[in-house]
Order: sequence, then C-alpha cells, then structure tokens
Amino acid sequence: MARITLPQAKFVRILFFLLIGVTTLSLARTFADSGDLSSTGTFGAAIGLAVPIGLAGLGGIWSERSGVANIGLEGMMILGTFGAGWAGWQWGPWVAIAAAVTYGALGALIFAIVTVSFGVDQIIAGTAINILGLGLTQFLAKLAFENAPGGGQTQSPPVSALPSFTITEISEPLSALQKEGIFFISDAAGLLSGLFYQVSIITLIAIALFILTAFILWKTSFGLRVRSAGENPWAAESLGVSVYKYKYIAVTISGALAGLAGAYLAIVGTNVYREGQTAGRGYIGLATMIFGNWRPGGTAAGATIFGYINALQLRDESNIGGLTLLGAIILIGIAVLMVARGMRGTGAALGLLGAALMSAFLFTTKMPTEVALVAPYVTTLLVLATASQSLRPPAADGVIYRRGESH
Amino acid sequence: MSETLNAVELVDICKRFPGVVANSNVNLKVRKGSAHAIVGENGAGKSTLMKILYGMQKADEGKILVDGKALVFESPSDAINVGVGMVHQHFMLADNLTVLENIILGSELKKGVKLDFAGAAKQVTDIAKRYRLELPLNEYVSELGVGDRQRIEILKVLYRGANILILDEPTAVLVPHEVDELFRALGDLKSEGITIIFISHKLDEVLEIADEITVMRAGTTVGSVNPKIQNVTAQDLAEMMVGSELPTPATTESTVTNNAVLVVNDLAVHTESGKAIVDHVSFKIHAGEIVGIAGVEGNGQSELLDALLGIVKSSGTVQFLEHNISNWPTRKRREHGIAYIPEDRQRQALLLEAPLWENRMLGHQTLPPNSKGFWLTPASAKSDTQRIVNEYDVRTPNIDVFASALSGGNQQKLIVGREMSGNPKLLIAAHPTRGVDVGAQAAIWDHLRAARAAGLAVLLISADLDELIGLSDSLKVILRGKFVADADPTTVTPQILGNAMTGAGAAA
Repeated sequence: MARITLPQAKFVRILFFLLIGVTTLSLARTFADSGDLSSTGTFGAAIGLAVPIGLAGLGGIWSERSGVANIGLEGMMILGTFGAGWAGWQWGPWVAIAAAVTYGALGALIFAIVTVSFGVDQIIAGTAINILGLGLTQFLAKLAFENAPGGGQTQSPPVSALPSFTITEISEPLSALQKEGIFFISDAAGLLSGLFYQVSIITLIAIALFILTAFILWKTSFGLRVRSAGENPWAAESLGVSVYKYKYIAVTISGALAGLAGAYLAIVGTNVYREGQTAGRGYIGLATMIFGNWRPGGTAAGATIFGYINALQLRDESNIGGLTLLGAIILIGIAVLMVARGMRGTGAALGLLGAALMSAFLFTTKMPTEVALVAPYVTTLLVLATASQSLRPPAADGVIYRRGESH
Repeated sequence: MSETLNAVELVDICKRFPGVVANSNVNLKVRKGSAHAIVGENGAGKSTLMKILYGMQKADEGKILVDGKALVFESPSDAINVGVGMVHQHFMLADNLTVLENIILGSELKKGVKLDFAGAAKQVTDIAKRYRLELPLNEYVSELGVGDRQRIEILKVLYRGANILILDEPTAVLVPHEVDELFRALGDLKSEGITIIFISHKLDEVLEIADEITVMRAGTTVGSVNPKIQNVTAQDLAEMMVGSELPTPATTESTVTNNAVLVVNDLAVHTESGKAIVDHVSFKIHAGEIVGIAGVEGNGQSELLDALLGIVKSSGTVQFLEHNISNWPTRKRREHGIAYIPEDRQRQALLLEAPLWENRMLGHQTLPPNSKGFWLTPASAKSDTQRIVNEYDVRTPNIDVFASALSGGNQQKLIVGREMSGNPKLLIAAHPTRGVDVGAQAAIWDHLRAARAAGLAVLLISADLDELIGLSDSLKVILRGKFVADADPTTVTPQILGNAMTGAGAAA
C-alpha cells in the first residue's frame, strides 16, 4: 500500500506545510486572478481577526488540559469586552486590558467554584456563564454608559488606541514585491509583509502567550501537573498532586485569556464596547482548539485559517471566487491523499465536493453570496470531520472529579 | 523473631463507613525486608486496610507504626514521605502522558523553571536497571500492555524512594508468564531490602511468594502463618478465610449431549488494515457442554466473542440451534437465548452510576421480567433483582444502591446472576470468576455446573487455567487468532496448557 510519510522533525514539518499552503494559495490566486487573496492587507486583517479567536482557543487549552470543558469562554469574553469598555474610556487602554483580564478571570473563578468544588456538569455551568456574562453586561452597560459622554445603552464611550507597530523597512519592499504577481514569491512576500504591518501590541502579547503556554504546559512540572489533572485526576491525587488547586489555576488563566480576547475586540478591533461584539468567537475559539488537537501550535494555525477566511469575506466580495477555488483545491488535494492511503470512501466523497466547488467556480459568473460565504466553513468542517480520527483530547476532559472518590 | 524490627505495625485499627464496619481490631506486623501476604475474601477489608496504611483513608481508631514510629497519615503524600508506596489494583496511570511523565508526576526534578526530563530519565533508568524493570520511557502509556503498566506503577513507587511496597491484587490482571516476571521482580526487590505487602486471594501464588501470611475475615485479622516454617497448604488458608472447605472447579460427570447448540464455521474477523484477528475458526458446542478456550490475552479471544454476539463484523457462518444467526444484530441474538459475561465488567457489563435493579435490566430490557411490550416493568425487575441478590449471595445493603458501591466480586456475582436468568441456551463467559473470592467462586462454579447439567452450552474463556481445565469438557488453544491445539481436560496440566498458549509446545 502506498504511504505518504510526513517529515518527522517538527520544524521541518511546519516548513513543509507552509510551503504547500503558499503554493496552493498561489495557484488559486493565479487562476482566479484575485490578487487580494495574498495581499499584505488581507494577511494583516487575517492576523487581526485571528487574535481574539486564538486567545479564546488558548484559554480553552488551559481549561481543558486541566480536565474542565470550558464552553463558558464566550461569556468570559463578553465580560472582557465590557471590562475593557468600562475601564478604557475612563483610564485609557492599558487599564482597559487589565480590567478585561480581571473580569474574564472573575467569570472563570465563578465557573471553577461551581464545576470544581461543587461538581456541577461543566456544559451546563458553562452555558450558565454565557447567559450570565451577556445579561450582566447588558445590565451594567445601561448603568455605566447611558449618561457617559459618547456612550449609550449598548455602547461605551470610545477608548483611546493602543500602540501598533509597522516595520516599514521590511513591510514596504515586501508589499511591493507582492504586487508584482510572481508565482509563489509574491504570495510569500504578501504573507511576510502582513506580519510587519500595523501589528497591535496585543497581537504581540498573544504570540508570546502562545509560546509561553506551550513552554509551561509541556516543559515545567507545573504544566505536567495541570495536564495530569486533565488526564487522570485520580492518579494525580494518589501522587499527592492537589487536583483542585491546579484546576482552579488553569480555569482562572483560561478566563483571563478569554478576557484578553475581549479586550482586543473592544480596543483594537473597534474602539468601543458594544453589545454582542463577541459574535460567537468564544465558540469558534473552542472549535479551533479542537482543530488544533488541544495544542497551542495547532490552535494558532486553526485561528489563522479562520481569520484568513473571515478577512477575505470582509474585505471584498470579489474575493469569494478565489476563496471557492482555494477550497476546491484543498478538498481535491486531501481527497487524493486519502485515496492514496486506502480510505477510498471518504476520499471519493471529498473529491466529489471539491469537484462541485471547482465547477461552481468555473461555470458560474456570480455565485449566490450565501453559498459562497458558507463554503469555507463547510470545507473546514469536512476537513475536520475526516481528519479528527487522530485527535488526542485529554482523557478526563469534562469529567466531574470529586476528591477521595475512587473511579 | 521479636528481635527483628517491624517495617509496619498496625495496632487495633478500626474503620467504619455508614452502615458497614470495614475494619475492626485489625492487628498486623510486617517484618522488614519480608514479603507479607494478606489474604481474605472480597469484602474482608483488605483493600480498606491498605488504603489506611497508604493515607487514602483515615482510620477511626488504632495506631500505625512505620519503622517503629507512630504516625498519622492525612494523605498519600504523608505515606510517600516515610517510604510507603502503593501499586493499585486498578492502575493509576494517565494514558496520554508518557511513561516518564507518569513516573515523575508529583515529584518532579527541576532545572531552573524547567522540568529536568533528562535528569529524571537518568534516575528512572538507574532504578529500572537495578531491579530489571526496563521500560520505554518516552512511549505513551496507551501504547503499552498490562504487564508494562504494572511495571510503571512499581517504578513510580520506587522512584519516590519507597522501601515499603503495597501491591493490591497485582496478579489479577496478568497472564501466567507475566506473573512469573512479576514474582522475579518482587524477589529482586526483596533482596534489596524492600518490604513487600501483597494482597491476593490466589492462594497458590501467595504460598509461592510470601514469607508470612495474614488472613483476614469479616473485617478483622484472624491469624498469621509462616509458610516457610509451618507446613500450610492452600486448603488450610482457604479454611481460615471462609471457614469451609476449599472448592474445586472440577465438574463431576459428562453431561454432553448430541444436540449442537452453536456451530461456527470458518469465522473470521479482520482489522481495518485487513489483518485477520480471528483467523477462520470452526467449532461446535453441544447442549450440556463447556468448551474452554485457552490463550494468552490478545490472541483474538475478545474479537471471537464480539463476533459471536454480533458486535463486530465477521465472515463465515454461525448457526445457533436451528437459526443461521450470522447476520443477526446483537439484540436478536440475546433475545433468542445467548447470555454473555463480558471480560471487563465495569466497562461492558454495568452502569456504575445506576442502581442494581436497573443493571438487572441491562441487556435484557426487552424481555420479562423487565418489560412487557413497550413498557418497562420496574416492580417485577426489582423483585427479580432481589432473587438474584439472594441466590447469588450478592453482598449489598439493598438493590437501590449504585453498582459502583459494590466490590468487584459482588458486581461479578450480580452479572452472573443476571446472565443466568431467563433460561439461556448458550452462555458466552469471559473470566466469570475474575477478581472473585473463593466462596463466591465456588458459588459461581456451582451455578455453571447446574446450568450445564440442565443443558446449557457454554463457551468459556479464562485466564485461570485451573478453572478452565476443571470446568471444561473440551479445550481449545487459541494463538494469533487460530485454534492451534485441542486438549483433553482430564489429562492436561496447566504447565502443558501454558506452553501451548505461547506456542512453545503442543498440548496433550
């Protein structure tokens, strides 16, 4: 049987995937003749949209690695947006960040008390946190912003901006190169220049947090204990690890990160707190965490993909053709891989869908916007559904653990 | 002997749970560097006692002395700190962590803020070498077998510097050659001065390894013997444990009839990659016959059972009485009289968080006394559960408690009782007495024999070779999915059978 083996070393593997990704993108751009598919602006916007999703996903990693399924991320994020709006217009953006993080962490602390100490079902408690987060902020927003200058019942007064960085020496020549439209090189240039153009300080913090999380969870004894609580809390307790303590810490960190995601939306994404601002990004964060196999690297990649799709749609409707082609190429590529690995059935199904997308791109002049908007998510879902066989979630994720009880 | 220092001394330990006295006036002295066995029936209080010694539970009364010093354990950490370590019956391992991570968890070596994996690996390797317990340290635990997992547990305890090692029924999950391996390791540990406390109800094993044996009955210690000095047999120990004669699995006379109940022809089960796990086997079971299948775990036994029950896809034909059931779903097979005692009772046979009477319905929910047409009939199910509890001596306060509240042996008795209800024609039994004490074992054997005399056909799989030889009318040896030998249970010995199981020799 033919087997395609991936390179073993992690670094080489990442490069390998990047190479394939950029080539695919390049193909789609060339054939769809849609330069915006890999422009500096698209990548810049993609990163901006990826940050809140990624931070929520990172929060999910902390919580779920400790064995607490955290569906309440959305609610903690809402608390974060309110905290940022409320503190931001009065004391500036830095205090706004601190307040958002604190509010998110407080929401998580309530969640931890309910789920860890009292053993309430985590999905129900998480849903309750989401409802609480929404209701509480609606109520508080009315009190806090109605009479404030420039504020309203559902919106805070504006928050002043945070610093952002552009390294002109790098981003401008790359951006120029991108406009040349050379196969592969221009696309890679576009991707790189996006990384150096108007990068918010929170984005930098987020990247640092991803690296820090990977280090703490996998390289320190503290991290090992957190993970052990999510894998087999009974075993951990029998070795003298205080499972409750580590769950409390991890869940609180989780909420703090969700709060920071909220801060990004309220300070960088817009410059106000607005009701309904999170728009389900907490859930999408959770989905990217699963996509990323409960690991920071994969979650970051997942968030970036979501951000990219989102960015293309928001920027220009003409991008949709290119996006459809990109989806078609990815689906067909994966289908070929699967057939080569002997999974004929799923491979064929994916291939058919890829062909359908391809013909939609080739033979329609204008696709219904609704279909076009949904297509990338369907693609992602399909890829997830067929790739999810090798996922390794924490073994005791979502399990109610009570100290001293045998299992 | 009073001159030698005791590694552990327990004085008048009492422990009460709501409604039960688990331990009362337990006295135990364990000499330093000895292997001390504690034997007793299920529910005799052995496990509770060990949990007290390991700090997982606190005694209501009594004293614990370790190396002559009176101590109070608030948690396992306290016990670990004075060198007491425990290997649990149900392994306490995290599958998705590596072997090394599992071992060092809770007592990690640090290098600055980082965890010192390299240093820890070196320490663990040194210990492993010393006691010949080598393991692949960077492998995930989920990739390893039962014997390796037990070695991880032992290493875990040694890594923490334990010099008193408690093992709770360590051989219950092992196949014969793994047991030998374990005993060799325990011998090495003992010669290095480590004290071993060993809980078991397999009396032959206890006699093989122990320097001293303490017998517990009904929550209290009833006596100690020294097998190296006194001449004690398994019979003597069993009588101390239960106050009755030691039962044997031997069936009396053949009840085999000519009516074939199950005819299996060319049955095969394949993995996704196309490998045959059950490799085209054929056999017959007649009414009144017990066919035993011997084999090292993982040679296709589980898949064979699953195929017979219709849980996995298989090729070949299965004839049950007058029906060709090859394409029947599991439910239909069960309804027509196939009873099943699965390998893993907690995973496959019980809902732990459900009352006993609901567990009685499980797998029989479409038949009386559990249901009538569309509706369940809890009242008659409950009274039938009470019947099982009485007939099979399931020790439980009542039938409304959760299955998780019962000890393993009592859970098993409930399962056997359930599966023997409703006049099955064929019983598929995997390890029917695993983890069950001698008294209950005898009762289960009696029930099996009675049912066999009444015409039940039985397919029996058991890791207990004495049981397999004693109960079976004919024996087959399975190796890598194929029947490689037949054996005559009247002449074969466990040694010969054991060799055949590993492919080392042909059976008689």
